[in-house]
Amino acid sequence: MNRMDRILNGLPGDVMFLLGNEAIARGAIEAGVGFATTYPGTPSSEVGDTLSKVARKGGFYFEFSVNEKVATEMAYAAAISGVRSFVFMKHVGMNVAADAIMSMSYAGVRGGMVIMTADDPSMFSSQNEQDNRHYAELAHLPMLEPSNPQEAKDFVIRAFEISEKFRMPVILRTTTRVSHQRTQVKLGSRSVRVVDAKFDPAKGDFVTLPSSSMGFKSELIEKMELARQYCEKTDLNRTETHGSGKYGFITSGEAYNCLTDAIRKHSIDASVYKIGMTSPLPEEEIASFLSLHESVFVVEELDPYLESGVRRIAQMHSSTARIYGKIDGIFPASFEYSPEVVASSLSGIINIEVGNESPPVSVADLPKRPPVLCPGCPHRATYYAVRRAARMSGLSDVIYSSDIGCYSLGTYEPFEMADVLLEMGSSIGVGSGLSKVTGRHVIAFIGDSTFYHAGIPPLINAVRNGSRMTVVIMDNDITAMTGQQTNPGVPYDGMGQPVKPVSMEAIVRAVGIDNVVVADPYDLKSFLPTVMKALKSEGVSVVIARRECAILRDREMQRKGERVVYAVDSGKCGLCMNCVENFSCPAISIQEGKIAISPDLCDGCGVCAEPIVCPFRAIAAGE
Amino acid sequence: MSRLNTNIIIAGVGGQGVVTAGTIISDAASNAGLKVVMSEIHGLAQRGGSVTVDVRIGNVESPMVPKGEADLILGFEEIETVRSLERGNRDTFVIMNLERLPPVSLGIRRREYPDEQEMERKTAGIANVHRIDANRIGREAGNSKASGTAIIGAALSLGRLPFALSDVETALRNQFSGKVLEVNLLALSKGFESIPGKEPTPANR
Ligand code: SF4
Ligand code: SF4
Repeated sequence: MNRMDRILNGLPGDVMFLLGNEAIARGAIEAGVGFATTYPGTPSSEVGDTLSKVARKGGFYFEFSVNEKVATEMAYAAAISGVRSFVFMKHVGMNVAADAIMSMSYAGVRGGMVIMTADDPSMFSSQNEQDNRHYAELAHLPMLEPSNPQEAKDFVIRAFEISEKFRMPVILRTTTRVSHQRTQVKLGSRSVRVVDAKFDPAKGDFVTLPSSSMGFKSELIEKMELARQYCEKTDLNRTETHGSGKYGFITSGEAYNCLTDAIRKHSIDASVYKIGMTSPLPEEEIASFLSLHESVFVVEELDPYLESGVRRIAQMHSSTARIYGKIDGIFPASFEYSPEVVASSLSGIINIEVGNESPPVSVADLPKRPPVLCPGCPHRATYYAVRRAARMSGLSDVIYSSDIGCYSLGTYEPFEMADVLLEMGSSIGVGSGLSKVTGRHVIAFIGDSTFYHAGIPPLINAVRNGSRMTVVIMDNDITAMTGQQTNPGVPYDGMGQPVKPVSMEAIVRAVGIDNVVVADPYDLKSFLPTVMKALKSEGVSVVIARRECAILRDREMQRKGERVVYAVDSGKCGLCMNCVENFSCPAISIQEGKIAISPDLCDGCGVCAEPIVCPFRAIAAGE
Repeated sequence: MSRLNTNIIIAGVGGQGVVTAGTIISDAASNAGLKVVMSEIHGLAQRGGSVTVDVRIGNVESPMVPKGEADLILGFEEIETVRSLERGNRDTFVIMNLERLPPVSLGIRRREYPDEQEMERKTAGIANVHRIDANRIGREAGNSKASGTAIIGAALSLGRLPFALSDVETALRNQFSGKVLEVNLLALSKGFESIPGKEPTPANR
């Protein structure tokens, strides 16, 4: 059995070494999920990568939706038809889905519905590190927070049970170190659920108009009170004692792991209340825990979500325990924790020795390796050409507005072509605003998937309100940054079945833009004048830079057994350094005073051989 | 942490097989009946960025190797090896693959990769640095891509991994098949014999 088959069909009791996100996928399978949707986003993407590979064999539905809001609406439809549904996304994706979530919490569900958010403390691959636990409070929904892959799998199943018990969606909140942690996971049994979708609401059951919503709101508060009573007794929360248990700790998620390691290392006498169900909070349990300890530390990453609750509960129960957390500045308010961070925060209060040895080597002067576009990436050619085109068109004060995707890396040297970059779709929205308010020419960069996700409404707005901008849609035929997922422009769907792609150019034209061209950035000599022409346009012009992601192209070439590698003829090379300084493909470097191309890294795209990159025509396909 | 635990950092560049090596080590530890937690950070780039994988074997919960506590560092690329030494200590065992992948930040400044003397100076603070040409070992075994497996073999011969060669062989069998498996099994044994003076002992053989 291969790995994916084992994730689908592994027997109860089997132990697999699983990534947190794979364990979550298995959890959904064990729970008998019938309908799963997502928009890919790190650190949640591998849940979808796994489910998309096993959905057909597993007999459930899976799709990569156009964005998180639609994914959530799709999943909701299944849940109100009695089918267990699972929607998952990265933390900022939940902002997109929030409009839907805030209303569905009112109307509730029939079949279980689990909404997973994967938060990213320390922003390893995100624009912020927002703490999505606040959404549970905002939407009045129960929430579970696992600490490791085993819990992640088991909690998915529990989340479905809780969802059905209280007829409300349940949030499952992970963080990067849980979703991207690998460890041994013991599989459970797959529940066999044959559920025919049945949508038969009584009048107004799922209609949130003021008339019904007023009733929903009161019900929601009642449901959450029942959920709290459940939370007081659930084994999702537990207490662990180390030594005499003198110091009290309240914790959840990855912070529990860091805390436990710190306690073991420094032999701290600790009593740890680990909360697995963090919304609604188990008020009575927390109050009684407070009554047992003189000092209680609340250890959690990001915002003082638990701490605020604990302080509120302490106040209501007139607790005399001394509470330590972030609000009083004991623990850091930002970034992910580690056992060292926890120990050094505690060392001000508890008498423990934290080593402060300086590292054995200094790495300060080591060359940096910022993230780069792959060798052969079409975006490199696009950026190179657009920058030249802007210069050759005499546009000295052009504003570059960028977006979320692999092409975000155009922010870094050598291109540095992002003056503003916020969130999905913002290149066009903020870009057209800048064109209005400053009168300067704006060039917006947006990928194919991001365009479908959130680029269309701002494009309509830009046309409608007369912005002057050029939108470069970097269409590499895949959602690349999160690991090559399909999107509406790709001719197969999330379960690998052929489907008609949505035409990007038809959408652009339908919006009322006549000045739209499709061009191949690999073909620099015709791509450059095409961009220059678009830059002349008065209103909104669109250049679709179409060339598949180099990783896709590699796979295709490998399949065909083809391989081309470029090389430099140092006899011809004039050492102008343009290729390394301004084009900067990772395969090209300076070696002993000469330009060299690494045959291991070269992808054979041939763009560097174009005279616009190598004026000496020293680069050519080798043997 | 107590000596019963083993903290390993694997560092390299995206596309070098760093994550695969991490899963093979972890699987080998699982085969030996040990608890393992592994954590991987890829950053924003699909290929060509710094990648580190932390593997912790023993009674630990957090998947990240604490600063200064790496017992073993497996470096797939020279600059990335040195970068991760910051998280080691003077006694950390280091295997450094002699692969040099120049970051584009160098070319942009018209600079070249630091020369050998400079790289050696940077590792001078650490006693046990073993330099091996894992790509060559991989090539000799049949494919330079098996370099990661060669590095694992070398680490095993240092007696720094709490499991046996046979556990790694089982892990390779779980991961690969056919010709690729053969190449990797060969790379493992060649890597195992690659560090002079580190003859395989019955205990870890
Ligand atoms: S994954 Fe594709 S789109 Fe992303 S940098 Fe690599 S080649 Fe470019
Ligand atoms: S052909 Fe040139 S630009 Fe393309 S991958 Fe090879 S070295 Fe890089």
